[in-house]
Amino acid sequence: MIRQLPVALLVVFSVVVVLWGTMFSLNRDTPADRAEVVFWHFWSGPDGEVVDEVVRRFNESQEEFFVRAVSMPGNNFDMKLFLSITGGDPPDLINQDDPIVGDWAFRGAIYSMEEIAPADEVEQMQNWLLPAARSLGEYDGKLYAVCNGLDIRALYYNQDLVEAALGKAAPNQLESVEQLDQIAELCTRYDDGELTQVGYLPDPRRLWVWGSVFGGDFYDEQTGQVTAEDQQIIAALKWMKGYRDRLGANTVATYRQNDQSLPNKMFPLLADRYAIILDGQWRVRDIEAAQEASRRKGEPVTRYGVWPLPTLGPESPESPESKAGWVNGNVFLVPRHARNSKGAWEFIKFWTGLNGNVEQAAQTCVAGGWIPVAKPVSDSVVFQSYLDEHPLFAKFVELSAADQVPTPLVPGAARYYREVNNLVQRVMYDDHETPDLKGELHTLGKTMQQHIDRIHRRPSFKSSAGGFDE
Amino acid sequence: MAADAKKGDRWTGWLFISPWLLGVAVLFVYPFFASLIWSFTEYDLLTSPRFVGADNYERIAREVLAGEGFGKALWNTFYYAAVSIPLSTMLAIALAVMLNWKVRGQALFRTLFYLPSMVPMVASSILWLWLLDPRDGMLNAVLALFYETPPLWFQGMQEGVSLSTPFQFGSKDGLTLMSLWGVGNFMLIYLAAIGDIDESLYQAAELDGAGVWQKFRNITLPMLSPIIFFNLILGIIQSVQAFTQVYIVSEGTGQPAESSLMISLQLFLAAFRDLEMGYASAIAWVLFVVLALATWGLFRSSRNWVHYRGGRLS
Repeated sequence: MIRQLPVALLVVFSVVVVLWGTMFSLNRDTPADRAEVVFWHFWSGPDGEVVDEVVRRFNESQEEFFVRAVSMPGNNFDMKLFLSITGGDPPDLINQDDPIVGDWAFRGAIYSMEEIAPADEVEQMQNWLLPAARSLGEYDGKLYAVCNGLDIRALYYNQDLVEAALGKAAPNQLESVEQLDQIAELCTRYDDGELTQVGYLPDPRRLWVWGSVFGGDFYDEQTGQVTAEDQQIIAALKWMKGYRDRLGANTVATYRQNDQSLPNKMFPLLADRYAIILDGQWRVRDIEAAQEASRRKGEPVTRYGVWPLPTLGPESPESPESKAGWVNGNVFLVPRHARNSKGAWEFIKFWTGLNGNVEQAAQTCVAGGWIPVAKPVSDSVVFQSYLDEHPLFAKFVELSAADQVPTPLVPGAARYYREVNNLVQRVMYDDHETPDLKGELHTLGKTMQQHIDRIHRRPSFKSSAGGFDE
Repeated sequence: MAADAKKGDRWTGWLFISPWLLGVAVLFVYPFFASLIWSFTEYDLLTSPRFVGADNYERIAREVLAGEGFGKALWNTFYYAAVSIPLSTMLAIALAVMLNWKVRGQALFRTLFYLPSMVPMVASSILWLWLLDPRDGMLNAVLALFYETPPLWFQGMQEGVSLSTPFQFGSKDGLTLMSLWGVGNFMLIYLAAIGDIDESLYQAAELDGAGVWQKFRNITLPMLSPIIFFNLILGIIQSVQAFTQVYIVSEGTGQPAESSLMISLQLFLAAFRDLEMGYASAIAWVLFVVLALATWGLFRSSRNWVHYRGGRLS
């Protein structure tokens, strides 16, 4: 009897584990009469609460579908998704903000909207979305992703610092990049030889922004060629490197590193470390909170403003196709083999405001401080009154309708994005001079072209019959 | 009756080790051989692997020659291993020798020096990010006395142990310092080995007039050589597999400008960011071969410097 005890314990333990797992997986709050839509996203904290609220409102409005949101903050979201797709149990809807749409669309990992929704509704959606929002989801002439919130960049400036340096009122907008350079230089301060305040310092991750502003293209969709050595991109990189040359590579690297060590990941503009800084619309809340805190303490309230990105000046005629900026954002994707893609589409319409959901969409944008993806939502009464209270934010909304370009939607774009950033980091931070910027960009472009070509040779997941292809 | 009982025992034994056997089969044996096959394919996790011959290995060779991608990761890993292994070996032996001295509070000192290796890697990585902060870090506060521009550590691309930027420490040097902090495990093994050295050897040396250094040089070190050999092999494997700390301090990218991109991170990015599982498998196999060669080289050289008490192992 005693001899059998360990075996019996093992069996009991296994049964308990299996039962526990079964009970856990059955413990869902989806009503029996509704079709469940599993939605994976990465939001948590206050943003997660906003998403939960949107989901709650959608579920209340529905009789057919029930969205179950699963928050997956942190890394390796992609890995989990691919394993779920190959394992045959993907979610019905996901949210992403990396430049992966072209890659996943090509590989067949996601449905195009035409595959899951009525053609007339997809066309409606394409017309509904702002050009910038649409550009984040279109690949090969089809809509593969629906943007649910735009991220727009502009130049925040500390109005008090800029006006003190200029000795006059700050301009309403910058006329040229040269003007930005001049103001930046005036606002740069040293204390005992140590750099204590920078007028402006280009972020190495933002060649994507400045390359577009200078009129460059990173990829030629017509020929399918990587164009990293576009003259305008070289010009943008040279201009960024100018700041490194003036301040010193080590100083630039240290200064950037120190931004990371500000308490509570504080917006560096609020710490007076910069007079001008390039960032997205989400910083408006930080600025307003800081101003409110100063008001409450009875301290002077620092004034801040927002400038659109400047185009090149008349001295730089080589900027024929300058863009307003670079856009990214959050997009909805429907993984291939999702069980309830119809429900996912209904939720997408609800979130973006299509088909009579404008007020709901406006509420979502107000709650999250997000930029609407459609003009009717921006124009709604709810959202307009929000903009009246938040004039800095209004500037970003205005810019969302301008000519904003995304990271190219091509297979392998995520690596392209990473490699460009690595190159600019090297140019900006390395003590050793990088004399041949064109050569560096050429080599990078060649490597990326090989990478993209290699992916293009792959068969698509949707046409893959399994087994070992030769 | 006795034979039945014995048979029953055998089955019970198999049953109890079955979770381990299953784990080894599924998590080790299968991936081991599958990755070898995948290394000759293009495989993106979504579609079936497609045979491409030695393309992935050719690509690795090209990248090594051009100093890009895998070539860069290989250099970074080599630098990290070449600096951190000798330093950690010397530090661990020095600490073990000192912690063997019969002084008041010996147990406390032993505990204190061992404690850092108990700290989880994630926590220690965050701690070192603070310690090595270029402006507010504790270390740079001291180094500011000697440097006009203190090192950038995790934000820098410099290599402190190089002719081009001597003593200008960058991200790999920061990772090396972190590895030294967790030297407690090696130290513990050396400590046990030192305690195992026959006291009569030291007594005989003293009778011959040997001093402290001579005893260390001619008795302690040779008697520790099998342990040094063992720890060297472990150290090489650990260096090449360094991932968690690299991922945290470089925010998963090997930044700045791939200066902290180690082979393990390169493999991870290729497999799960760029969906190049075939190429990543080839990297893993190249890594395996490099490790095997390094270990073989160490075994070959060990005949000349490793001393076993009962004579050389055949």
